[in-house]
Amino acid sequence: MIRFDQVSKRYEGGHEALSQLSFEVASGEMAFVTGHSGAGKSTLLKLLGLIERPSHGVITLEGQHLGKIGRSGIPKLRRRIGMVFQDHRLLMDRTVFANVELPLMIGGMAPPERSKRVRAALEKVGLLAYERQLPATLSAGEQQRVGIARAIVAKPMLLIADEPTGNLDPTLAVEIMGLFAEFQQVGTTVLVASHDLPLIKRMRKRVVVLDHGRLVADVAAQEVL
Amino acid sequence: MSTQPELPLNESPLLAETPSRGGRTRARPVASWREHHGWSASASLRRLMSRPVGTLLTVAVMAIALALPLTFYLLLGNVQKMGEALGQNQTVSMFLQPSQGGSAAQLVAKKLRDRPDVAAVTVKTPQQGMDELAKMQGFSGALHTLEDNPLPFVLEVLPAQGVSADGVERLVTDMRGMSGVDQVQDSGTWRQRLEALLGVGQRAVLILAVLLALAVLLVVGNTIRVDIASRSEEIGVLMLVGASRAFVRRPYLYAGIWYGLFSGVLAAGFAVLVELSLADPVARLGHAYAGKLQIDVLPPWLLASVPVAAAVLGWLGARLVSAWQLRKAA
Ligand SMILES: Nc1ncnc2c1ncn2[C@@H]1O[C@H](COP(=O)(O)OP(=O)(O)OP(=O)(O)O)[C@@H](O)[C@H]1O
Ligand SMILES: [Mg+2]
Repeated sequence: MIRFDQVSKRYEGGHEALSQLSFEVASGEMAFVTGHSGAGKSTLLKLLGLIERPSHGVITLEGQHLGKIGRSGIPKLRRRIGMVFQDHRLLMDRTVFANVELPLMIGGMAPPERSKRVRAALEKVGLLAYERQLPATLSAGEQQRVGIARAIVAKPMLLIADEPTGNLDPTLAVEIMGLFAEFQQVGTTVLVASHDLPLIKRMRKRVVVLDHGRLVADVAAQEVL
Repeated sequence: MSTQPELPLNESPLLAETPSRGGRTRARPVASWREHHGWSASASLRRLMSRPVGTLLTVAVMAIALALPLTFYLLLGNVQKMGEALGQNQTVSMFLQPSQGGSAAQLVAKKLRDRPDVAAVTVKTPQQGMDELAKMQGFSGALHTLEDNPLPFVLEVLPAQGVSADGVERLVTDMRGMSGVDQVQDSGTWRQRLEALLGVGQRAVLILAVLLALAVLLVVGNTIRVDIASRSEEIGVLMLVGASRAFVRRPYLYAGIWYGLFSGVLAAGFAVLVELSLADPVARLGHAYAGKLQIDVLPPWLLASVPVAAAVLGWLGARLVSAWQLRKAA
C-alpha cells in the first residue's frame, strides 16, 4: 500500500527533516509514527498527501509513484486519502455540518446520501448535536473531532492523522483511536502520528519511531508491550 | 484492546461497505457538476449580498464604465439621424447679381433644369425673399425701414437623387461659372464635414468601448483578486481535502458573472435614463428644423445584450485573475 524507498526531505534553507527513510505499510494495516518533536512525523504524513514533495527517493501508494503525479493529479489523490491535520484546518465561516460535508461535495455525492453520511460521521465523533454550530464556538478538542469526522466521512482507502488526540482528554483519545481501529477493521489503511506513548502502547499496533528524520525502530504490533 | 468500543459496524453507513475511492459517485458526474454550479452561483451571490456597500460600489463603477460608450453611441446615432434629416432636400442656393432681372433668372433656371444632375430649380423673386425674411422674428421692423428691395433673384437648385457629394461639388463649380451669377452657396460641404466628423465619432466610440471594457475587466479582476486573497486560508483547506482548481474557482467565477450582470443591468438603466432625458430636447430641436424628428432610441437587443456582454466580461476578469491567484495559492 505505502512504500517509502530511501526518502529524504530537506526543507528550503533548512536541515534534513527526513533522511533516507525506507519502510512499507501493508494494505489494511494500522501503524503509529512516533518520535520527539521535530523528528519529522508531520513531514512524513505531508509527503503522502503531496503537501510536500521529497527531495530524494521514491514514495509509492498502491503502486502509484507519487513523484509522477503532477499538479493536476493532486486533487484526485487527496480524495482517496482522509487527512486529519495537527491544526484542524476547518472552515471557520461554515457550520460543522458543512465542514464535514466538504469531501463529499467535492466528490460529487448526491445531497440526501451526503447528509446521511455526514450525520453518521458526526455521530462517530460524538458531535451530532453540534452540526449547526460554527467551529469557533467549539472547544479545541471538539474542533479536532470535526476534523476527524471530515477525514473519515468519504470512507478513504488511506487515513492519515497528525496528532489526532492532541487536544483530547484520555478517555476521548482512546475512543478516537478505537474509531481509527474500526476503520482498519473494514480495510482502511491507517497511519497516525502521535507522541502519546501510553496511548500507542495501549492500542497494540505497529509503531514506527523516528529520530531526527531517521527511522530508528519499527516495532510490529505483536511486539508492542 | 479491551477498551475498544463495541459498535454495530454493519449498521453504520460509514463502515458498512469497504472503503470507497473518496466517496465519488461516478454515476452522476453531470448531476453533481450541475449541483455545484448551482451552489457556487448562490453562495457567491450570498457573499456579495453580505457586503452590500462594497458590492454596490464595484457594480456602480463598472456600470458607469459600461454606460459611457453606450451614451456616446446613443448621442452619435442621434446626431447622425439629425444630419440625415437635415441633409435631405439640401438645396444649393445661387444668388444672381442684383442687375439680373426675372427673365435672366428664368433663363438660367432652364439651363440648370436641362442638366441630368439637377432634379428641380425654384426661382425666388426678391419679393418672395423679402416676405420670407419678414416672417422671421426680429427682422420685420428693420425691413420696413428699407425703401427698395435690395435682394437679388435666388435659384434654389435641388441636386438629382443619388448624385454624390463630388457630383454636387462639380455642379456647384459649373454654377459658379455661369454668367450673371453673384455667388453660389452650397451647404453640402457642411454635410460632408458632419459625415467625416461622425466617422471620427464612430471610431472614437469604438475605442472608448474597448478601453472601458478593459476597465471593467480590471475592476472585476481586482475585486476578485482581493476576494481570493482574503480567502486564501479557505482555498488552502479546500485544496487539502481534494478540491480541484475548477471547483475552488467556481464561486469566484460566478461572483465575476454577478458583478458583470448587475453592472450591465445598471448601465442599460443609465442609458435609458439618458434617452428619456434627451427625448424632449431632441424633439424640440427636430421641430425647429425638419418638423418631425424624434430621438433615436437604443435598440432593445443592444440594451439586452449589455448585461450579457458585461457578464461575459466579469467572468473573463475573474477567470484570468483566479487562474493566476490560485497558482500562487497551490
Ligand atoms: N515548512 C517548513 N520549512 C522549514 N522547515 C520545516 C518546515 N516544516 C518542518 N520543518 C522542520 O522539519 C523538521 C521536522 O518537522 P515536522 O513538523 O515533521 O516534525 P514533527 O515530528 O511533526 O514535530 P511535532 O511533534 O512537533 O509536530 C523540524 O525540524 C522542522 O523545524
Ligand atoms: Mg507535527
